[in-house]
Amino acid sequence: SDSITSSTTDLFRSGPSKATSKEMDRIDHLFNQYANTSSNLIDPEGIEELCSNLEVPHTDIRILMLAWKMKAEKQGYFTQEEWTRGLKALRADTLSKLKKALPELEKEVRRQSNFADFYAYAFRYCLTEEKQKSIDIETICQLLDIVMGSTFRAQVDYFVEYLKIQNDYKVINMDQWMGFYRFCNEISFPEMTEYNPELAWPLVLDSFVEWISEKQA
Amino acid sequence: MSNQKKRNFQIEAFKHRVVVDPKYADKTWQILERAIHQIYNQDASGLSFEELYRNAYNMVLHKFGEKLYTGFIATMTGHLKEKARLIEAAQGGAFLEELNKKWNEHNKALEMIRDILMYMDRTYIESTKKPHVHPMGLSLWRDNVVHSPRIHTRLLNTLLDLVYKERTGEVIDRGLVRNVTKMFMDLGESVYQDDFEKPFLEASSEFYKVESQEFIESCDCGDYLKKAEKRLTEEIDRVGHYLDAKSEDKITSVVEREMIANHMQRLVHMENSGLVNMLLNDKYEDLGRMYSLFRRVTNGLATVRDVMTSHLREMGKQLVTDPEKSKDPVEFVQRLLDERDKYDKIISTAFGNDKTFQNASNSSFEYFINLNTRSPEFISLFVDDKLRKGLKGIADVDVEVILDKVMMLFRYLQEKDVFEKYYKQHLAKRLLSGKTVSDDAEKSLIVKLKTECGYQFTSKLEGMFTDMKTSEDTMRGFYGSHPELSEGPTLTVQILTTGSWPTQPAVPCNLPAEVSVLCEKFRSYYLGTHTGRRLSWQTNMGTADIKAVFGKGQKHELNVSTFQMCVLMLFNNSDRLSYKEIEQATEIPAPELRRCLQSLACVKGKNVIKKEPMSKDIGEDDLFVVNDKFTSKFYKVKIGTVVAQKETEPEKQETRQRVEEDRKPQIEAAIVRIMKSRKILDHNNIIAEVTKQLQPRFLANPTEIKKRIESLIERDFLERDNTDRKLYRYLA
Repeated sequence: SDSITSSTTDLFRSGPSKATSKEMDRIDHLFNQYANTSSNLIDPEGIEELCSNLEVPHTDIRILMLAWKMKAEKQGYFTQEEWTRGLKALRADTLSKLKKALPELEKEVRRQSNFADFYAYAFRYCLTEEKQKSIDIETICQLLDIVMGSTFRAQVDYFVEYLKIQNDYKVINMDQWMGFYRFCNEISFPEMTEYNPELAWPLVLDSFVEWISEKQA
Repeated sequence: MSNQKKRNFQIEAFKHRVVVDPKYADKTWQILERAIHQIYNQDASGLSFEELYRNAYNMVLHKFGEKLYTGFIATMTGHLKEKARLIEAAQGGAFLEELNKKWNEHNKALEMIRDILMYMDRTYIESTKKPHVHPMGLSLWRDNVVHSPRIHTRLLNTLLDLVYKERTGEVIDRGLVRNVTKMFMDLGESVYQDDFEKPFLEASSEFYKVESQEFIESCDCGDYLKKAEKRLTEEIDRVGHYLDAKSEDKITSVVEREMIANHMQRLVHMENSGLVNMLLNDKYEDLGRMYSLFRRVTNGLATVRDVMTSHLREMGKQLVTDPEKSKDPVEFVQRLLDERDKYDKIISTAFGNDKTFQNASNSSFEYFINLNTRSPEFISLFVDDKLRKGLKGIADVDVEVILDKVMMLFRYLQEKDVFEKYYKQHLAKRLLSGKTVSDDAEKSLIVKLKTECGYQFTSKLEGMFTDMKTSEDTMRGFYGSHPELSEGPTLTVQILTTGSWPTQPAVPCNLPAEVSVLCEKFRSYYLGTHTGRRLSWQTNMGTADIKAVFGKGQKHELNVSTFQMCVLMLFNNSDRLSYKEIEQATEIPAPELRRCLQSLACVKGKNVIKKEPMSKDIGEDDLFVVNDKFTSKFYKVKIGTVVAQKETEPEKQETRQRVEEDRKPQIEAAIVRIMKSRKILDHNNIIAEVTKQLQPRFLANPTEIKKRIESLIERDFLERDNTDRKLYRYLA
């Protein structure tokens, strides 16, 4: 109720409100709780601690979703700007509020209009080196499992199996990554009757489909 | 115009004297009737035309036209019925003659009668719209004679019988038949058609149905076609002699249908004598006949073409895929050339140079030549063989002929870039070993390749020739500046520009001291005149002439490779060397060293050194000594290296890989070129356009194109459209 009175007084003031700045203070406070003091970043260690406080494993999709919400650029690190952006948007200035905001965040991400963006983000998030454009097969397999595992279980399992036994690709690029998303959404599985290799699918999917067909036959 | 009232002249019509005699009409008609009788009885000499004309004229004038007209019809009818009876009475062969005779008589009579009744024809008949005298006379003839029940069918049967007799070899009176058919035509085209032509065509159809069935059971294809051709000429001849010209197309189409169209498949596929047999045995006449007959019927030529195409493809496929036949590349290509010559000749002599047949032949050759992936290599080897020795002593004109033929085969290749790779290798070997027989022939072929594939294709080949020429000048300069070198070994260096020549890894080896001193002198001379260049020695590509003296003083000049020279020179200082020692002294890589020792020690008649133990293969523990007993009829002995002329399997794979690598940038360049101008294009169209652009060089694999597209996406040259995933966009 305290915050309500504060916000009414807001109307009579110009400049930053007391409440906002209080919220900001709390967000900053929370950031400092996890940030490495010398680099002023929440580093992998900090994230690990955050996860354990939120009682979520650090490989959980919700952590990736949190990163997406923050628009975090570097894997394993949150800058103060990113942290503030994310927590403000979630209206969470305490750990418990943040914890409570996670299910809502997941709903938001799973909305069709957001998921493709999130899916693409997940790939970019894994590009850790300067000018890196593709990701090694092993990482891709883990990422697929996290991001798509709950919605397209069968496709992910087959694709991961295929990626692990083939020899043509050592890495996957963004185009191929997005191609698989398109594949899951457009092609019925495992019949794949709509699949037409002449329709500009990335080659890796042509080979994947061919591999499944041979397996099925 | 309207004021004619003033003076109104009026000319009164001439008033005839009114006929008072009530019997006038009957009397006058009697005179005319009698005259008609006389005419028909061929007794008209006493008649006065003038009088008869006047009488007829008067009758019409006095409104007795009707009487005159009906009277003339009745009288003529009577006469014609009488004639019909006489014709009917004629027996056998006389029937047609009698008919013809009576027809002629009728015609003459009809002419005279028409003249007498001219006035009636012009006035009375004109105004009453009745048939004129002459057509009436013809109709009466038709109805009373030709269509009389006892003549009608008899006449037709007689005619058909005569035609049948003639078809079966008898001689008939063609003039008589011609007169009769002409009579039909005179009676009107429909009479000719209904009373003669239609039944004639039906009977012919029946005749040829039976005959063709008989022929096809008993004759081979060639004979059958001869017979059909003969029948066709006969029918055309028949029309010329006694049928109406319009019947020609109709009767020929009957023969075509019955004798060709209905038996087309069976003829073409006839066992042991059909089209394939004719092709196999070069039966130009039969093939020509088949072509000219089959072109007359619908789908005839398509049938011939299809069978030829599938035979040619099958034959070609066997030719190029038979491992036995691809053992010798030169023979392999010679066989292809022979087949091409053969089909060229067939199409030009028998198939009238028909474009569609040429195309069919070309596409068949293209199809099967490319079934063997080694065709480009073999064609280049064939050229190599011809330019090495094959053409020695052949006139320039013939050289051109052979090269032109090879170019024909070259045009069929889908992988022209592979040919280029091999051609470059082979040309390099020819030039460097001095084995090319004729510079003119070499250059002529390069000009041909240039016209065919453009400047890019041949610029490097031309660079090789330039290098050869420049090297000669350089060598002259070198010896000019080093007069002291006129004694001792002579070095000839060919300076090859990197990039123009096929890349071969330089295989270093230790040259004999005498030679390496010379090489160093040359190096400083060359680098002194050309700053900023690098020289590396391709010892694996050189040759040497060395003088050798054997045990009993036999002297020979040995023509060997640089590696072989390095080995042989070692024996100046020792009598006996082990494999290891040779390897250490020369540092020639093992596979080359083995080959070089093999050709020095294991080839009968050229074994200037001996190997212990004696065997075909070189082992690491072998020992080598000079063969003191070496003899040869010749002073100059050429010791070739044991080389496989064809590429070995791993070499082939390597070349293949190089070709594939070279294609990648070409495919990417094509994609970028196309996308730069089109900006947005869908997947299938990119594939199609890239394939088309690259066709003159090679047949791009769609999967490879796709890979290149993906690579360009990765490098941000292209992107996929956000909504339509088939579309690619060019990112400038």
